Amino acid sequence: MALQCRLSGATFQSLKLATIPISSSSSRFIFRTLPKTLNLALFSRHSAPKAPPFSVLIRTLSAPAVAAAPAAETSDIKVVKPQWNAAIDFKWIRDNKEAVAVNIKNRNSNANLELVLQLYDKMLNLQKEVERLRGERNNVANKMKGKLEPAERQKLIEEGKNLKEALTTLEEDLVKLRDELQIEAQCIPNLTHPDVPIGWEDSSKLRNMVGSPRKFDFPVKDHLQLGKELDLFDFDAAAEVSGSKFYYLKNEAVMLEMALVNWTLTEVMKRGFTPLTTPEIVRSSVVEKCGFQPRGENTQVYSIEDSDQCLIGTAEIPVGGIHMDSIVAESALPLKYVAFSHCFRTEAGAAGTATRGLYRVHQFSKVEMFILCRQEESDMYHEELIKIEEDLFSSLGLHFKILDMATGDLGAPAYRKFDVEAWMPGLERYGEISSASNCTDYQSRRLGIRYRPSESPSTTSKKGKTNVAATKFVHTLNATACAVPRMLVCLLENFQQEDGSVSIPHPLRPFMGGVEAIYPKSR
Amino acid sequence: MKGKLEPAERQKLIEEGKNLKEALTTLEEDLVKLRDELQIEAQCIPNLTHPDVPIGWEDSSKLRNMVGSPRKFDFPVKDHLQLGKELDLFDFDAAAEVSGSKFYYLKNEAVMLEMALVNWTLTEVMKRGFTPLTTPEIVRSSVVEKCGFQPRGENTQVYSIEDSDQCLIGTAEIPVGGIHMDSIVAESALPLKYVAFSHCFRTEAGAAGTATRGLYRVHQFSKVEMFILCRQEESDMYHEELIKIEEDLFSSLGLHFKILDMATGDLGAPAYRKFDVEAWMPGLERYGEISSASNCTDYQSRRLGIRYRPSESPSTTSKKGKTNVAATKFVHTLNATACAVPRMLVCLLENFQQEDGSVSIPHPLRPFMGGVEAIYPKSR
Repeated sequence: MALQCRLSGATFQSLKLATIPISSSSSRFIFRTLPKTLNLALFSRHSAPKAPPFSVLIRTLSAPAVAAAPAAETSDIKVVKPQWNAAIDFKWIRDNKEAVAVNIKNRNSNANLELVLQLYDKMLNLQKEVERLRGERNNVANKMKGKLEPAERQKLIEEGKNLKEALTTLEEDLVKLRDELQIEAQCIPNLTHPDVPIGWEDSSKLRNMVGSPRKFDFPVKDHLQLGKELDLFDFDAAAEVSGSKFYYLKNEAVMLEMALVNWTLTEVMKRGFTPLTTPEIVRSSVVEKCGFQPRGENTQVYSIEDSDQCLIGTAEIPVGGIHMDSIVAESALPLKYVAFSHCFRTEAGAAGTATRGLYRVHQFSKVEMFILCRQEESDMYHEELIKIEEDLFSSLGLHFKILDMATGDLGAPAYRKFDVEAWMPGLERYGEISSASNCTDYQSRRLGIRYRPSESPSTTSKKGKTNVAATKFVHTLNATACAVPRMLVCLLENFQQEDGSVSIPHPLRPFMGGVEAIYPKSR
Repeated sequence: MKGKLEPAERQKLIEEGKNLKEALTTLEEDLVKLRDELQIEAQCIPNLTHPDVPIGWEDSSKLRNMVGSPRKFDFPVKDHLQLGKELDLFDFDAAAEVSGSKFYYLKNEAVMLEMALVNWTLTEVMKRGFTPLTTPEIVRSSVVEKCGFQPRGENTQVYSIEDSDQCLIGTAEIPVGGIHMDSIVAESALPLKYVAFSHCFRTEAGAAGTATRGLYRVHQFSKVEMFILCRQEESDMYHEELIKIEEDLFSSLGLHFKILDMATGDLGAPAYRKFDVEAWMPGLERYGEISSASNCTDYQSRRLGIRYRPSESPSTTSKKGKTNVAATKFVHTLNATACAVPRMLVCLLENFQQEDGSVSIPHPLRPFMGGVEAIYPKSR
């Protein structure tokens, strides 16, 4: 789930792509060589509400981790080699450059389209040149097969040698150019659904609202106070043992977490999703391919020492990786997964009162939905996912609104994103509890997930001849079914009673051994 | 030098004072260094050992008791990996690509079975008066050390977080042990009994071979752990209580297992005494450890700084109005595995497999799995 970071500090920080001010001039492309020193700030917003968060042009990044490459002999450009390549359709970008440019602007990304187009042109020309030289070299080779005067032969040998050297140089240049092009092009954000409002957070459009804020006839407590009085969590001990923004859940809160996870999994399974638990340590390349940024100053991602591994911030990552580098049969689609995992986020850069208690924590349990489908169907499944979320949260009796997030809030992978914000009476505002994104082919081009359309029977095909259709990239979608800490905030604050107890929503009671309420403990 | 002195005398004293001060500074520095050295060396000394513990290595461990007997199969027995494949319960291959070897995805009924195991175990142990907890899985490395583990070093079992003094926990024993770090608890509060659910992470550095296939040895797993803090005189009693709870839990599930009193060479520094439970795994054709219960007496509490103040005892000789504040003592800590999910999955799958390829779910778990009675092969 790509959770949004709100200006008043309300929501989870978006696991969004980092923004780099890139210093590029003409055809030079200079990167610092170590991934860690790439100044990749995560797309985090903590500045004034009125203006866009960054005055510097920001680039939504999905650049691969780059490893230092040996410096080229022929130029002083230090080009770094991407560790993996997204399957970018450069020709399409060139043929649709106006639309791509508008999209980049709307998303306030500083992907450098001009540079991409230039590099692509250069690359095409260089390719032609390489092919021409190869042709010439073949000619020379062929000529040398016949009967020749020694002088002639010697000339041809010379020519052949010169061609070979020239070719080697050009081929090296071509590789470097390809790498440069790849890195630049991977910064280009996903396209945008035509209905998405253009602008920043305040431009996000309300899709619908469910329920209304409960009217209390007694003073409302926030979840921290309720947690203290009901002995449900301990932040102090956790601060000593682990650090701030860690916590222990105690007593009924443990059972409530288990009930929430269990109930959510059960409900989503009923709708045809395959349940999973996932690794919570993954290779950093997989994190990048999903569109997140493991390295960099304000990264949300914890890394493991002496390793290329990271902790996941969402199950979207290991689930996205299941079908990495493979071709699925069209008949297998859609693939619908509901995954339970713990999630870890550094929450770097997040501060302020809106980060108190369970609202912003480093570790939490989450149930995530993930769909891989045919290209034509992703809009439909996006609607299906948001409908499931609506059903889940209504069943629990929550009051919430669903927002169609504006272009400036999307983050590079998302074609369209719906956020659910639930009313939190103790915090006296709406807080994000869920997010549903349609990433179309952005992640699949990076993860390398294709499908082979089924053969269509053709009346003109010759007998015995099979038509193997070209593969297409799947579309991927992800949506939060249940982010436990935010749900705990909602349940505690909304269902508190005057006597200090908290009422358990009916759907959860069977999953908690029938417990109907959490009562203050006698001390 | 406070008194009246001749200038010459005063000067002599000033000299003497200065020499003494220099000598003192040097000695005090030496003392600090010596204390540090002493501390480091002494901390290597392992805990004492219960007198009944057999002396020697693994083969010296003593059988305390055995429950049940190996099931007799009248059809070829499959191991858990094969069952997992046929029943579409886990995926090690995709996990190897995404994360590396010894990682896995659980799928379908295996997910529900893990949740049922955890849920049922927590419920059962709560009935016996334990307070349920979930814990942080990232902790400061100092806490790891104070519990008797070694975060740094060549074959460490501990994952460390880059650019930080934090580590991933290998067991909930660590964050639970840390709850009452550096504090004095009232004697009346003891015993403190916790049952904690967490994910656990272990590098398994140095482990290799066939006995590490499949779910038997993995880098990440779910575990329900029991932890007790108690008065010194009571730790032996609570050790017996913990192993009894484990025996009850595993018997309820219908497992065949033996309980071993581990020999001195197998204890590990913190444990005064350790009981291991090894369950029969027919697919692996041997017993495999599914649980361990240790009495660490005051080894961890001396490092974590957890003390208790004994209640005042009324004394007939005490003067009226004078309160006797007793000196504090170190608590004793114990820990025991209530449920280590992957090993339990191995046991359940291998022991309860049926000839038709299905696996029968033990009765106590069925209500926690929505009533599901068995896992059946999926039609393909």
